[in-house]
Amino acid sequence: MTDRPPGSVDPKLLEILVCPLTKSTLEYDREKQELISRAAKLAYPIRDGIPIMLPDEARKLDESELKR
Amino acid sequence: MSDTTHFGFKSVPLEDKQRRVDDVFDKVARRYDLMNDLMSGGLHRQWKDALVAKLRPPKTRAFDLLDVAGGTGDIAFRAVAAGGPRTHAIVADINGDMLSVGRARAAQRSLTARVEFVEANAEALPFADRRFDAVTIAFGIRNVPRIEAALGEMFRVLKRGGRFLCLEFSHVDVPGLDALYQAYSFRVIPELGRAVVGDAEPYRYLVESIRRFPEREAFAGLMRNAGFARVSATPISGGIVALHSGWRL
Repeated sequence: MTDRPPGSVDPKLLEILVCPLTKSTLEYDREKQELISRAAKLAYPIRDGIPIMLPDEARKLDESELKR
Repeated sequence: MSDTTHFGFKSVPLEDKQRRVDDVFDKVARRYDLMNDLMSGGLHRQWKDALVAKLRPPKTRAFDLLDVAGGTGDIAFRAVAAGGPRTHAIVADINGDMLSVGRARAAQRSLTARVEFVEANAEALPFADRRFDAVTIAFGIRNVPRIEAALGEMFRVLKRGGRFLCLEFSHVDVPGLDALYQAYSFRVIPELGRAVVGDAEPYRYLVESIRRFPEREAFAGLMRNAGFARVSATPISGGIVALHSGWRL
Protein backbone atom coordinates (compact mmCIF):
# COMPACT_ATOMS: atom_id res chain seq x y z
CA MET A 1 0.00 0.00 0.00
CA THR A 2 1.41 3.38 -0.94
CA ASP A 3 0.65 6.79 0.43
CA ARG A 4 -1.32 9.04 -1.87
CA PRO A 5 -0.03 12.47 -2.78
CA PRO A 6 -1.31 15.18 -0.46
CA GLY A 7 -4.55 16.75 -1.64
CA SER A 8 -6.00 13.66 -3.33
CA VAL A 9 -8.91 11.63 -2.01
CA ASP A 10 -8.96 7.88 -1.52
CA PRO A 11 -11.43 6.34 -4.02
CA LYS A 12 -12.55 3.91 -1.29
CA LEU A 13 -13.57 6.86 0.86
CA LEU A 14 -15.65 8.32 -1.99
CA GLU A 15 -17.49 5.01 -2.27
CA ILE A 16 -18.78 5.04 1.27
CA LEU A 17 -19.80 8.69 1.53
CA VAL A 18 -23.44 9.66 1.14
CA CYS A 19 -25.26 12.98 1.35
CA PRO A 20 -25.66 13.82 5.06
CA LEU A 21 -29.13 15.29 4.41
CA THR A 22 -30.73 12.72 2.11
CA LYS A 23 -28.34 9.75 2.66
CA SER A 24 -28.34 9.28 -1.12
CA THR A 25 -25.25 8.39 -3.19
CA LEU A 26 -22.96 11.10 -4.53
CA GLU A 27 -21.28 11.80 -7.85
CA TYR A 28 -17.63 12.79 -7.89
CA ASP A 29 -16.69 15.78 -10.05
CA ARG A 30 -12.92 15.36 -10.32
CA GLU A 31 -12.36 18.65 -12.12
CA LYS A 32 -14.20 20.81 -9.63
CA GLN A 33 -13.27 18.60 -6.67
CA GLU A 34 -16.86 18.36 -5.56
CA LEU A 35 -19.24 15.65 -4.44
CA ILE A 36 -22.65 16.15 -6.01
CA SER A 37 -25.90 15.31 -4.25
CA ARG A 38 -28.66 15.52 -6.84
CA ALA A 39 -31.28 14.76 -4.22
CA ALA A 40 -30.26 17.72 -2.03
CA LYS A 41 -29.16 19.87 -5.03
CA LEU A 42 -25.85 20.51 -3.30
CA ALA A 43 -22.18 20.19 -4.23
CA TYR A 44 -19.93 19.37 -1.27
CA PRO A 45 -16.38 20.67 -1.72
CA ILE A 46 -13.19 18.63 -1.28
CA ARG A 47 -10.40 20.77 0.15
CA ASP A 48 -6.84 19.48 0.57
CA GLY A 49 -8.19 15.96 0.14
CA ILE A 50 -10.76 16.32 2.92
CA PRO A 51 -14.42 16.05 1.84
CA ILE A 52 -16.41 18.79 3.60
CA MET A 53 -19.76 17.08 4.16
CA LEU A 54 -21.51 20.06 5.72
CA PRO A 55 -24.60 21.51 3.98
CA ASP A 56 -23.63 25.01 5.17
CA GLU A 57 -20.34 24.72 3.27
CA ALA A 58 -21.88 23.23 0.13
CA ARG A 59 -22.61 25.04 -3.13
CA LYS A 60 -26.23 25.11 -4.26
CA LEU A 61 -26.70 23.57 -7.70
CA ASP A 62 -28.77 25.41 -10.28
CA GLU A 63 -31.24 23.71 -12.61
CA SER A 64 -28.86 23.66 -15.60
CA GLU A 65 -26.26 21.74 -13.59
CA LEU A 66 -28.85 19.25 -12.42
CA LYS A 67 -29.92 18.42 -16.00
CA ARG A 68 -26.46 17.25 -16.99
CA MET B 1 -36.06 29.60 17.86
CA SER B 2 -36.91 29.06 21.51
CA ASP B 3 -34.85 25.86 21.82
CA THR B 4 -31.82 26.41 23.98
CA THR B 5 -28.98 24.24 25.18
CA HIS B 6 -26.06 24.76 27.49
CA PHE B 7 -22.68 26.15 26.52
CA GLY B 8 -20.74 25.54 29.69
CA PHE B 9 -22.93 27.13 32.38
CA LYS B 10 -24.62 29.57 29.99
CA SER B 11 -27.86 28.86 28.18
CA VAL B 12 -27.55 29.52 24.47
CA PRO B 13 -29.83 28.94 21.48
CA LEU B 14 -29.21 25.46 20.00
CA GLU B 15 -27.95 26.91 16.73
CA ASP B 16 -25.41 29.11 18.57
CA LYS B 17 -23.76 26.26 20.44
CA GLN B 18 -22.05 24.80 17.39
CA ARG B 19 -20.55 28.15 16.41
CA ARG B 20 -19.26 28.68 19.95
CA VAL B 21 -17.79 25.19 20.14
CA ASP B 22 -16.13 25.72 16.73
CA ASP B 23 -14.57 28.88 18.08
CA VAL B 24 -13.18 27.00 21.09
CA PHE B 25 -11.50 24.36 18.90
CA ASP B 26 -10.20 26.89 16.36
CA LYS B 27 -8.36 28.51 19.25
CA VAL B 28 -6.93 25.34 20.72
CA ALA B 29 -6.28 23.04 17.70
CA ARG B 30 -2.50 23.55 17.44
CA ARG B 31 -1.86 23.17 21.15
CA TYR B 32 -4.54 20.54 21.70
CA ASP B 33 -2.33 17.61 22.67
CA LEU B 34 0.09 19.68 24.73
CA MET B 35 -2.83 21.09 26.71
CA ASN B 36 -4.31 17.61 27.17
CA ASP B 37 -0.99 16.40 28.56
CA LEU B 38 -0.66 19.36 30.91
CA MET B 39 -4.25 19.32 32.14
CA SER B 40 -4.50 15.58 32.73
CA GLY B 41 -0.88 14.98 33.76
CA GLY B 42 -0.60 12.65 30.75
CA LEU B 43 -3.58 10.59 31.93
CA HIS B 44 -5.55 11.25 28.72
CA ARG B 45 -3.15 8.84 26.97
CA GLN B 46 -4.08 6.04 29.38
CA TRP B 47 -7.77 6.80 28.96
CA LYS B 48 -7.49 6.58 25.16
CA ASP B 49 -5.42 3.38 25.45
CA ALA B 50 -8.20 1.94 27.65
CA LEU B 51 -10.75 2.66 24.92
CA VAL B 52 -8.66 0.97 22.23
CA ALA B 53 -7.95 -2.00 24.53
CA LYS B 54 -11.71 -2.50 24.82
CA LEU B 55 -12.19 -2.01 21.08
CA ARG B 56 -9.68 -4.79 20.32
CA PRO B 57 -9.43 -4.39 16.54
CA PRO B 58 -8.76 -7.82 14.97
CA LYS B 59 -5.31 -8.85 13.69
CA THR B 60 -6.42 -10.53 10.45
CA ARG B 61 -10.06 -9.73 9.66
CA ALA B 62 -11.13 -6.52 7.94
CA PHE B 63 -12.30 -3.94 10.47
CA ASP B 64 -13.77 -0.55 9.69
CA LEU B 65 -13.80 2.02 12.46
CA LEU B 66 -15.50 5.38 12.46
CA ASP B 67 -14.08 7.78 15.04
CA VAL B 68 -16.41 10.74 15.49
CA ALA B 69 -15.06 14.10 16.68
CA GLY B 70 -11.59 12.59 16.50
CA GLY B 71 -9.97 15.43 14.55
CA THR B 72 -6.37 15.11 15.62
CA GLY B 73 -6.39 11.34 15.03
CA ASP B 74 -5.55 10.23 18.57
CA ILE B 75 -7.97 7.29 18.63
CA ALA B 76 -7.64 6.37 14.95
CA PHE B 77 -3.83 6.08 15.06
CA ARG B 78 -4.00 3.92 18.18
CA ALA B 79 -6.69 1.70 16.63
CA VAL B 80 -4.83 0.98 13.38
CA ALA B 81 -1.64 0.33 15.38
CA ALA B 82 -3.50 -2.18 17.59
CA GLY B 83 -5.29 -3.90 14.71
CA GLY B 84 -4.04 -5.85 11.72
CA PRO B 85 -3.30 -4.51 8.23
CA ARG B 86 -7.00 -4.66 7.34
CA THR B 87 -8.03 -2.30 10.13
CA HIS B 88 -9.06 1.04 8.65
CA ALA B 89 -10.30 4.16 10.35
CA ILE B 90 -12.30 7.13 9.20
CA VAL B 91 -12.05 10.25 11.33
CA ALA B 92 -15.06 12.55 11.17
CA ASP B 93 -14.89 15.96 12.80
CA ILE B 94 -16.88 19.13 12.33
CA ASN B 95 -13.79 21.28 12.87
CA GLY B 96 -11.49 21.80 9.89
CA ASP B 97 -8.54 23.01 12.00
CA MET B 98 -8.55 19.85 14.11
CA LEU B 99 -8.73 17.71 10.94
CA SER B 100 -5.77 19.53 9.39
CA VAL B 101 -3.68 18.70 12.43
CA GLY B 102 -4.77 15.04 12.20
CA ARG B 103 -4.12 14.75 8.49
CA ALA B 104 -0.62 16.22 8.79
CA ARG B 105 0.11 13.69 11.53
CA ALA B 106 -1.21 10.80 9.43
CA ALA B 107 1.21 11.85 6.68
CA GLN B 108 4.12 12.00 9.16
CA ARG B 109 3.31 8.50 10.33
CA SER B 110 2.78 7.14 6.76
CA LEU B 111 -0.78 6.21 7.71
CA THR B 112 -2.74 8.10 5.04
CA ALA B 113 -3.68 4.78 3.41
CA ARG B 114 -5.32 3.52 6.61
CA VAL B 115 -6.76 6.64 8.20
CA GLU B 116 -9.11 8.94 6.26
CA PHE B 117 -10.44 12.34 7.30
CA VAL B 118 -13.89 13.75 6.63
CA GLU B 119 -15.42 17.01 7.82
CA ALA B 120 -18.87 16.09 9.08
CA ASN B 121 -21.46 16.83 11.72
CA ALA B 122 -22.10 14.04 14.25
CA GLU B 123 -25.82 14.86 14.06
CA ALA B 124 -25.94 14.17 10.28
CA LEU B 125 -23.27 11.64 9.36
CA PRO B 126 -22.45 11.26 5.63
CA PHE B 127 -22.31 7.45 5.68
CA ALA B 128 -24.74 4.77 4.60
CA ASP B 129 -26.55 2.61 7.17
CA ARG B 130 -24.68 -0.31 8.77
CA ARG B 131 -21.29 0.57 7.37
CA PHE B 132 -18.90 0.24 10.34
CA ASP B 133 -17.72 -2.53 12.67
CA ALA B 134 -17.24 -0.01 15.45
CA VAL B 135 -17.96 3.65 16.16
CA THR B 136 -16.01 5.56 18.78
CA ILE B 137 -16.19 9.08 20.17
CA ALA B 138 -13.66 10.30 22.73
CA PHE B 139 -14.27 13.56 24.59
CA GLY B 140 -16.58 14.67 21.80
CA ILE B 141 -20.20 13.89 22.66
CA ARG B 142 -20.20 16.61 25.35
CA ASN B 143 -19.69 19.24 22.65
CA VAL B 144 -22.51 18.09 20.37
CA PRO B 145 -25.58 20.37 20.62
CA ARG B 146 -28.11 17.54 20.07
CA ILE B 147 -26.69 14.49 21.84
CA GLU B 148 -29.72 12.28 21.05
CA ALA B 149 -29.43 13.01 17.32
CA ALA B 150 -25.74 12.11 17.34
CA LEU B 151 -26.34 8.86 19.23
CA GLY B 152 -29.05 7.96 16.70
CA GLU B 153 -26.69 8.59 13.80
CA MET B 154 -23.84 6.61 15.34
CA PHE B 155 -26.25 3.72 15.89
CA ARG B 156 -27.50 3.96 12.29
CA VAL B 157 -24.07 3.61 10.67
CA LEU B 158 -23.06 0.68 12.89
CA LYS B 159 -23.29 -2.88 11.54
CA ARG B 160 -25.38 -5.43 13.38
CA GLY B 161 -23.05 -6.88 16.02
CA GLY B 162 -21.01 -3.69 15.99
CA ARG B 163 -19.86 -1.87 19.06
CA PHE B 164 -20.11 1.74 20.16
CA LEU B 165 -17.55 3.08 22.64
CA CYS B 166 -17.67 6.55 24.12
CA LEU B 167 -15.04 8.06 26.34
CA GLU B 168 -16.18 11.13 28.20
CA PHE B 169 -15.56 13.13 31.34
CA SER B 170 -17.79 11.98 34.14
CA HIS B 171 -18.52 12.72 37.76
CA VAL B 172 -15.98 12.04 40.47
CA ASP B 173 -17.47 9.93 43.23
CA VAL B 174 -14.42 9.33 45.43
CA PRO B 175 -14.74 11.34 48.70
CA GLY B 176 -11.98 13.96 48.93
CA LEU B 177 -11.02 13.60 45.29
CA ASP B 178 -14.21 15.38 44.19
CA ALA B 179 -13.38 18.62 46.07
CA LEU B 180 -9.77 18.51 44.91
CA TYR B 181 -10.84 17.88 41.33
CA GLN B 182 -13.35 20.71 41.44
CA ALA B 183 -10.75 23.19 42.74
CA TYR B 184 -8.23 22.06 40.15
CA SER B 185 -10.78 22.28 37.32
CA PHE B 186 -12.07 25.75 38.05
CA ARG B 187 -8.87 27.42 39.26
CA VAL B 188 -5.94 25.70 37.57
CA ILE B 189 -7.18 24.61 34.14
CA PRO B 190 -8.34 28.04 32.84
CA GLU B 191 -5.01 29.54 33.97
CA LEU B 192 -3.11 26.79 32.17
CA GLY B 193 -5.10 27.70 29.07
CA ARG B 194 -4.18 31.34 29.45
CA ALA B 195 -0.49 30.45 29.77
CA VAL B 196 -0.30 27.92 26.91
CA VAL B 197 -2.94 28.95 24.37
CA GLY B 198 -3.11 32.60 25.40
CA ASP B 199 -6.80 32.41 26.30
CA ALA B 200 -8.53 31.10 29.43
CA GLU B 201 -12.03 31.23 27.95
CA PRO B 202 -11.94 27.95 25.92
CA TYR B 203 -10.84 26.09 29.04
CA ARG B 204 -13.46 27.69 31.22
CA TYR B 205 -15.95 26.28 28.71
CA LEU B 206 -14.26 22.87 28.93
CA VAL B 207 -14.55 22.73 32.71
CA GLU B 208 -18.15 23.96 32.79
CA SER B 209 -19.23 21.58 30.03
CA ILE B 210 -17.79 18.66 32.01
CA ARG B 211 -19.92 19.59 35.01
CA ARG B 212 -23.01 19.87 32.81
CA PHE B 213 -22.60 16.52 31.09
CA PRO B 214 -25.16 13.89 32.25
CA GLU B 215 -24.31 11.43 35.02
CA ARG B 216 -23.28 7.95 33.88
CA GLU B 217 -26.71 6.40 34.41
CA ALA B 218 -28.52 9.24 32.62
CA PHE B 219 -26.20 8.93 29.63
CA ALA B 220 -26.72 5.14 29.60
CA GLY B 221 -30.46 5.90 29.31
CA LEU B 222 -29.86 8.11 26.26
CA MET B 223 -27.82 5.31 24.68
CA ARG B 224 -30.62 2.77 25.26
CA ASN B 225 -33.15 5.20 23.76
CA ALA B 226 -30.96 5.42 20.65
CA GLY B 227 -31.22 1.63 20.29
CA PHE B 228 -28.03 0.37 21.91
CA ALA B 229 -28.10 -2.92 23.82
CA ARG B 230 -25.91 -4.27 26.65
CA VAL B 231 -25.14 -0.72 27.68
CA SER B 232 -22.50 -0.32 30.36
CA ALA B 233 -20.30 2.40 31.84
CA THR B 234 -16.90 1.88 33.45
CA PRO B 235 -15.55 4.69 35.62
CA ILE B 236 -11.81 5.31 35.23
CA SER B 237 -9.46 7.36 37.45
CA GLY B 238 -11.98 7.71 40.26
CA GLY B 239 -14.76 8.70 37.85
CA ILE B 240 -12.94 11.65 36.27
CA VAL B 241 -13.80 9.89 33.00
CA ALA B 242 -16.08 6.99 32.05
CA LEU B 243 -15.94 4.52 29.20
CA HIS B 244 -19.47 3.92 27.91
CA SER B 245 -20.14 0.84 25.80
CA GLY B 246 -23.13 -0.37 23.80
CA TRP B 247 -23.85 -2.80 20.98
CA ARG B 248 -26.09 -2.86 17.95
CA LEU B 249 -27.64 -6.32 18.18
